[in-house]
Amino acid sequence: MDFSSNIASQLHAGTILPEGIVIITLMVVLVGDLIVGRNSARWLPYVAIAGLLLAVADLCLLWNAPDPDAFLGSFRGDNLSIVFRGIIALCTAVTIPMSIRYVQQSGTSLAEFIGIMLTATLGGMFLSGANELVTIFISLEMLSISSYLMTGYMKRDPRSNEAALKYLLIGASSSAIFLYGVSLLYGLSGGKTNLIEISAAIPQINGPQSLGLAVSLVFVIAGIAFKISAVPFHQWTPDVYEGSPTPVVAFLSVGSKTAGFALAIRLLVTAFEPLTTEWHIIFTALAILSMVLGNVVALAQTSMKRMLAYSSIAQAGFVIIGLIAGTDAGYSSMIFYLLIYLFMNLGAFTCVILFTLRTGTDQIAEYAGLYHKDPLLTLCLSICLLSLGGIPPLAGFFGKIYLFWAGWQAGIYGLVLLGLITSVVSIYYYIRVVKMMVVKEPHEMSDAVRDYPAIRWNLPGMRPLQVGIVISVIITSLAGILSNPLFTLATDSVTSTSILQPAVVTQELPATVTISSVIEQE
Amino acid sequence: MTLAEGVQIVSFGILAIMMLGTALGVVLLSNIVHSAFLLAGVFLSISGLYVLLNADFVAAAQILVYVGAVNVLILFAIMLVNKQEDFSKIPGRWIRDAATAVVCFGLFALLSTVVLITPWAENTVSPAVIENTVVTIGEHFFSDFLLPFELASVLLLMAMVGAIILARRDLIPEPVEKQETIATSLTLPERPRELASLGDSTD
Repeated sequence: MDFSSNIASQLHAGTILPEGIVIITLMVVLVGDLIVGRNSARWLPYVAIAGLLLAVADLCLLWNAPDPDAFLGSFRGDNLSIVFRGIIALCTAVTIPMSIRYVQQSGTSLAEFIGIMLTATLGGMFLSGANELVTIFISLEMLSISSYLMTGYMKRDPRSNEAALKYLLIGASSSAIFLYGVSLLYGLSGGKTNLIEISAAIPQINGPQSLGLAVSLVFVIAGIAFKISAVPFHQWTPDVYEGSPTPVVAFLSVGSKTAGFALAIRLLVTAFEPLTTEWHIIFTALAILSMVLGNVVALAQTSMKRMLAYSSIAQAGFVIIGLIAGTDAGYSSMIFYLLIYLFMNLGAFTCVILFTLRTGTDQIAEYAGLYHKDPLLTLCLSICLLSLGGIPPLAGFFGKIYLFWAGWQAGIYGLVLLGLITSVVSIYYYIRVVKMMVVKEPHEMSDAVRDYPAIRWNLPGMRPLQVGIVISVIITSLAGILSNPLFTLATDSVTSTSILQPAVVTQELPATVTISSVIEQE
Repeated sequence: MTLAEGVQIVSFGILAIMMLGTALGVVLLSNIVHSAFLLAGVFLSISGLYVLLNADFVAAAQILVYVGAVNVLILFAIMLVNKQEDFSKIPGRWIRDAATAVVCFGLFALLSTVVLITPWAENTVSPAVIENTVVTIGEHFFSDFLLPFELASVLLLMAMVGAIILARRDLIPEPVEKQETIATSLTLPERPRELASLGDSTD
């Protein structure tokens, strides 16, 4: 009795209230589907979206919480984690409207799909704030296992089966390697699992340079790079993106990547702080390879989903520049870019889904002449793609400028120049799609566009798709010009987070209560 | 549990030999059923090592979960698939084998170097002091590891839902053509590219 009351007062469970809201939503979705049956598909997605938006609102209330440590140091709800959790929850809130029609048309059940997607969101949200090795691993697995399930959701399609199996096998082995690296951290720190305690204990026990820590770093990076699909660990990406249902691809390319970056920042900045130069070198290599290979291979793609897969690899390369910069500006440019990337990428995927639903193909050549049949879709897809390419005055341009500026300030000139050159390459393949849609004369139309059905937004599940497209496009066009609030948000979250402020970090050890001290009190 | 040092060393030696022998068998034998049974041997010897480390709960869980569930599942999978296939000889196979061996030994050398040169922080409290490991583990689960413990329940729930989705028999809906959008039956709406390996299940 004494034990439990002692513990309960120190948990600060309010810190994970947003996640609690998502869990309740998940339960409502699963149980509601169980009771009501398939008819529930009419209202369940909106319940899920409402829950996610409520979680985001609650995250706003938790901003600048006086005591971010929760669950005796397992979870840290600091402002950095709040931003990342917000991005992941928003990503799912935008992904669900685009999946309603897509999933229903394929004859599969929508409620379970949303349930799995909410679990993946939960995994990502916990991963963004996890401050302890066991929590990190469990939330990482939660994200991964739900992603494997969503990838194989179209179970009669051999492409979907292949994608799920590939993703599962490669993901499981990368998780195993990550776990090995993490177990080395546990051993090197003398049996600590809390990241802040680890970062204090390792230099004491091992001295400044330690081979064990270096090996652990390499293994951990293998796990992280798999999640963000940076280049030597990217082989799964094109096949999985091609074979998965498109809403899942949208989630993987934004939500899963964001969670990976949140994990990377937290783990590398705290536990691997003694090896900062080493991980900078490794990530520089990853960034160079990702930017070059992602952008160059994307040129040769004929399928829209595969092209967006390679483009997402390249975008991960750009974001890594902010991570390597290692300054306040670097981290906040990462957050800023991820926020913008969320809307432009999801907007592009929503347009691709709409085109697929109407024509049944995602080949780039089939987009020829779309302008004559569906100007709205053409306009939206063009804006999203041009923003991904970084054309001013769209949001992607400002995001890239900020990233490159932060990198330049930090003195990584080579990487920034390479980023600029590869951005130019990327503009080519984005513009190619735009040109295909806009420039072609009516007699050059592709067969798919010639048979284009009449545009009707009142079919079930089409209205949310339309709303999703319009919102993403508005944000993509305006977020660049009116970027100040987002910019302030990103900067504030970085400057007010203790782990990113090296001068403060040593004094701010969390007031965790160890188990032994609790037992002694009894 | 306290054992004499001699007993510990002898039992460690026996367990280590058992483990290495069965593990090599798993990798090297060509009959997959033999490999599966030898895998049970590996799991059993690992749980023996846990007993030597005074981790009795982990040892029991290891036997229950790995031997009792995972290994039986593997055997079921082999039984249900039951595919006899003669693999054709690949020319130059030894190059791959040699490369694999070099990588494995390199990794082994690296990791052993790490183990040997790292000044491990030894825990001063002997594990034998802990009277009842289950109680201690329970206290950890409900204090500093509360969050991951509770998270695991959500993870398991979703794994169960996912397993049911994958395994259940679905009514395959007839694609309705009257609507303006593409309807499929449990397949992706995108038409596959013209590749022989992928087949054409849509349309």
